[in-house]
Amino acid sequence: MQAYLLSLLLIIPLAGALVTLAMPSTSKQFRTIALAISLLQVIVLLLVFSHYSTQQNGLQLIELKPWITLDMGAWGILKANYFLAVDGLSLPLVALSVIVILIAVISSWKIEKSPKGYFALLLILNAAVIGTFCAQDFLLFYLFFEFMLLPMFFLIGIWGGVKREYASIKFFLYTLLGSIFILIVMIALYLSTQSIGDGELIIHSFSLVDMQDVNNIISNSILDPQRNVSILGMSARTWAFILLFIGFGIKLPMIPLHTWLPDAHVEAPTPISVLLAALLLKIGGYGLLRITYPIFPDIALELSWLVALFGVVSIIYGGLAAMASKDLKRLIAYSSVSHMGFVLLGVASVTPEGSAGAIYQMVSHGIISTMLFLLVGVLYDRTHDRMIGNYSGLSTKMPVYFTFTLIAFFASLGLPGLSGFMAELMVFLGAFKSGSTNYLLHESFAIVATFGLVLGAIYYLWTLQRMFFGKFHVKSGINNNLADVDLREKIMLIPLLLITITLGIFPQLLLDFINPFAEAFSSSILESGKTLRALLQR
Amino acid sequence: MSQALLLNLLFFLLGLPLVSAMLAQFISEKYRWLNPLIAVFLLLLTTITGISICVAQWNEAPVLLEHTWFSLGNYTITAGFYINNVTLVMVSVVSFISLMVHLFSSGYMAGDRFEKSYYTMLGFFTFCMLGLVLANNILLLFIFWELVGFSSYTLIGHWREKAIAAKAAGKAFVINRIADLGFIAAILILYTQTNSFSLTEVTQLTNEFWRNAAAISLLIAVMGKSAQVPFFNWLPSAMEGPTPVSALIHAATMVVAGIFLLIRMFPLFSPEALDIVVIVGSITALLGALAALHQYDIKKILAYSTISQLGLMLAAVGSGAYGVALLHLFTHAFFKAGLFLSAGAIIHVLHQAQHTAHVHFDVQDIRNLGGLKKMMPITLVCFAICSAALSGFPMLSGFQSKDAILVSLFNWSGNSWRLIFTWTVVVSFVLTIVYSVRMLWYIFFATAKKTSLLRVSEAPGILRIPIILLSLCSLWFVVSVHPLEYNGWLLNSIQPAKHYLFITWLSMILIPTLSVIAWWWYKSKELSRVYPVLKNGFYLDRVYDKAGKNTVLTLAYTAKKSDQGIDGFIHVLAYAQVTFAHLLAWFDKWIIDGGVNGIAWMARQTGALARSFSGGKIQTYIFWTTFTLIIFLFWILF
Repeated sequence: MQAYLLSLLLIIPLAGALVTLAMPSTSKQFRTIALAISLLQVIVLLLVFSHYSTQQNGLQLIELKPWITLDMGAWGILKANYFLAVDGLSLPLVALSVIVILIAVISSWKIEKSPKGYFALLLILNAAVIGTFCAQDFLLFYLFFEFMLLPMFFLIGIWGGVKREYASIKFFLYTLLGSIFILIVMIALYLSTQSIGDGELIIHSFSLVDMQDVNNIISNSILDPQRNVSILGMSARTWAFILLFIGFGIKLPMIPLHTWLPDAHVEAPTPISVLLAALLLKIGGYGLLRITYPIFPDIALELSWLVALFGVVSIIYGGLAAMASKDLKRLIAYSSVSHMGFVLLGVASVTPEGSAGAIYQMVSHGIISTMLFLLVGVLYDRTHDRMIGNYSGLSTKMPVYFTFTLIAFFASLGLPGLSGFMAELMVFLGAFKSGSTNYLLHESFAIVATFGLVLGAIYYLWTLQRMFFGKFHVKSGINNNLADVDLREKIMLIPLLLITITLGIFPQLLLDFINPFAEAFSSSILESGKTLRALLQR
Repeated sequence: MSQALLLNLLFFLLGLPLVSAMLAQFISEKYRWLNPLIAVFLLLLTTITGISICVAQWNEAPVLLEHTWFSLGNYTITAGFYINNVTLVMVSVVSFISLMVHLFSSGYMAGDRFEKSYYTMLGFFTFCMLGLVLANNILLLFIFWELVGFSSYTLIGHWREKAIAAKAAGKAFVINRIADLGFIAAILILYTQTNSFSLTEVTQLTNEFWRNAAAISLLIAVMGKSAQVPFFNWLPSAMEGPTPVSALIHAATMVVAGIFLLIRMFPLFSPEALDIVVIVGSITALLGALAALHQYDIKKILAYSTISQLGLMLAAVGSGAYGVALLHLFTHAFFKAGLFLSAGAIIHVLHQAQHTAHVHFDVQDIRNLGGLKKMMPITLVCFAICSAALSGFPMLSGFQSKDAILVSLFNWSGNSWRLIFTWTVVVSFVLTIVYSVRMLWYIFFATAKKTSLLRVSEAPGILRIPIILLSLCSLWFVVSVHPLEYNGWLLNSIQPAKHYLFITWLSMILIPTLSVIAWWWYKSKELSRVYPVLKNGFYLDRVYDKAGKNTVLTLAYTAKKSDQGIDGFIHVLAYAQVTFAHLLAWFDKWIIDGGVNGIAWMARQTGALARSFSGGKIQTYIFWTTFTLIIFLFWILF
């Protein structure tokens, strides 16, 4: 049983998708199936947790089965494995996915436009997201990664708002571009990596674990640091790092590759916005931590300042753009850009604090952004309008809604005692400490990034002031008979609120999982980075 | 006291206000009268607990109670309590003033529409403020530091329909946030240098550069929270909140958190850093007093007065006499809370009278008041005691603490350039006397203006009790038995101050004399015109609006513009590709189709593909072009 837990987590939604597709489209039970699937996944997740040991470092619950083996003659043997496992990076994100998907299903309860297709796509997306976080084989990872793209494209393009086609195509184009970059690097990596313990015939490997080991680099291959292939004045390894960085940067998204995000968010229906912000963006950060940094540690040490710079720019620019937004959902989308900048900064610091902070931020942002998008949805459901300027004095009409929004906004702007602050603090600590321990980043990166906190306070409080305070008023033509938050909405919001508070006060609950990974991550990047650079200089 | 008992009592102390906060949310509308009752009762218990802890632990060795909180990297961070005499003084002040304010609120806020959230936030604030003074490490302290700011935000904006209140709340939070970047910087420095957050460990930092950097960063945070130059403008605006809130948060407790922080982190400050503290403090003391002299709104007078008094406390810490700063913090808490609550009582009573008389004017404007002497005699006595304490009248606590400040400042300055700042403080003392007299005169003694239209009676008992208690606490005996001696129970156990009898005697003569002159001056003339620059707090608001807000907004719109630029670029790219795809389709249709049969098969495939591009699916096209590119790349590389 234990050996198949992760597969089970994937198979359940896929089976659900098949069942959904087999049912007549007149049925009303699609949402029930999706809910049942999500609840089942929660149970499986609990089993996963019960079999996971925080004392033990490295990958756990490993499922490794040969998948593709092809003798390609002179090209060696192509080998890809069905390789699933979780560690301190994957497990928190898998848990986040399961929770957020459950909330998204509840939030989709009132979807009326062809529910069959909607829930089928949702279930496929569900499997793909969890697969991406569990896959430890690059080919498998890539497969899941691409698999996410199509359901998302259709979910925005069919169930979205007025400009949904534009938004979905933009989303698709951007992400596809990123995918192509990742694909290029994947092929190059494949050609340059062997798995250990074989005879004369080179066995190429897609395994991420193999790729992270310096000893597995095939000598004289394109990514061999000693061969030092130069393309357009930069080494092939640097190119590979940059391509991966761009590929995952688009997903994250970082400035200036972010313009798909606000449009996609604004047009997507609430549950899809939730999935997009809470899960899909995390794959960018996950990719950096799982693939870009560990496989190219030498380049990582060299270019970390650049990653941090993009992080800081994202933090500040995202905050400023949020301030200029007139649409509430767009504002929150930009605040996501700003918050994901912290992930970049944390990863770039290559310190235990910073990398732990980056992961913490991903989880925390997943929870908080879910809350924020749900709250926008609450208002949009009632009025079909999201313009900040069209409302005033909502707090007197919808006091419970005001309370939720108040806490969610403050969570997002980094009020201590809530999860976002803990994450950002760790990132700051890591980035600042990097200046005196591993010398990758100058102290000023952290100091400039702190201004993001001020920007956050400004745009959120300004929004509160405009929409919630003052005399109650909505622009004419908008439904002004506003009911307060109902039971279904409370069922979604309260658990999220509790998670945010809990993670804000008891960070160790999450750090128990994250810390071993973060320590191993930062020390191995520094070590193998130095080894590789020594190879280069020889 | 045994540690286990102490720990239990501390949890009790922190838990009670928190329970009060939560209960307020769960009591149904039907039993809303229970709200103030429960809150006051729980706060009474809090105060009793707080004062018992204070009495039992007084002059004991500092106690550190901690528990593992979380681990970062290889370091374990603890959370817990650090208790020494300073903590104990703060605990008693916070819990007692909070009790008084809760009691006052039960009358003042009765029937308010959002009473529930009012008591929740008041209880939550008390919890956070107690947490702040008890915290054993700087991170925990910062968490509570920000949380009291959050409580302040919600309480300033308590009257949600008042747009100006929301604006003031936001301003207070944002300005504090800006200053708090200093706090974060200090945390980063201290953690990086000492690998710890613990108060006892971080203050041991030896590296001189980082020590000074941390001290100055902390000072910036203090300047925000304690409303110093140039951040003070949030405090007068914060007066839009309910008056009891102003008494608790914006006079007696939250704003002094900055002073508390300075005292806690005192070992970190080098003599040079301390000089800067005095400079900031003394300038603020002067500017605050000047502005207070030119206000018409009672609450604004009190707000600027608070700013000025906070400046004095900063100056005292900077002169090295942190004990004296704590003493002034202690005495100021009572008389300033007393003043605010008296002002609240006046506002409350006049509002009620306005309702019955159907007359409307701004009851906070001293130009409309006057003649309240006969109508509210008890309030008058209390107000007079508290404002006399504020101006430093002998026999009152203010005299002792201000005397101590003067002595320590003169000790600090000696005969150096520092004398300028000491004299700045002296001038602010004189101004304090003048504005206190002005306030007292125009509210109570001047001929009744618009108040004559109203039938005013004394404030109800529930409002009077806290005021009377607070003015009693403004008498000399809270400091020491001897009315001219400042080295009483407090200073003797924390940091005894030197004496300088000449100053003590001189101020004993000068302060009453100056008060009489000021009295006579205001009696003989009409309310003088005020200088706009002082009335508007040196136009700090306008400067921030022009320089800060506009810059940020311009940047924000630039960001928006540049996003549109990026999108424009992408659109051009997309159009170019669509056009290219059309060309390809045309080429495929007219030229390749006419070719050899063998190629025709392939052409049909690509043609079908290309035709699909013209349907708008350019993404597939990109995919294929890039794919070709990859193949090409491999071809040249191997």
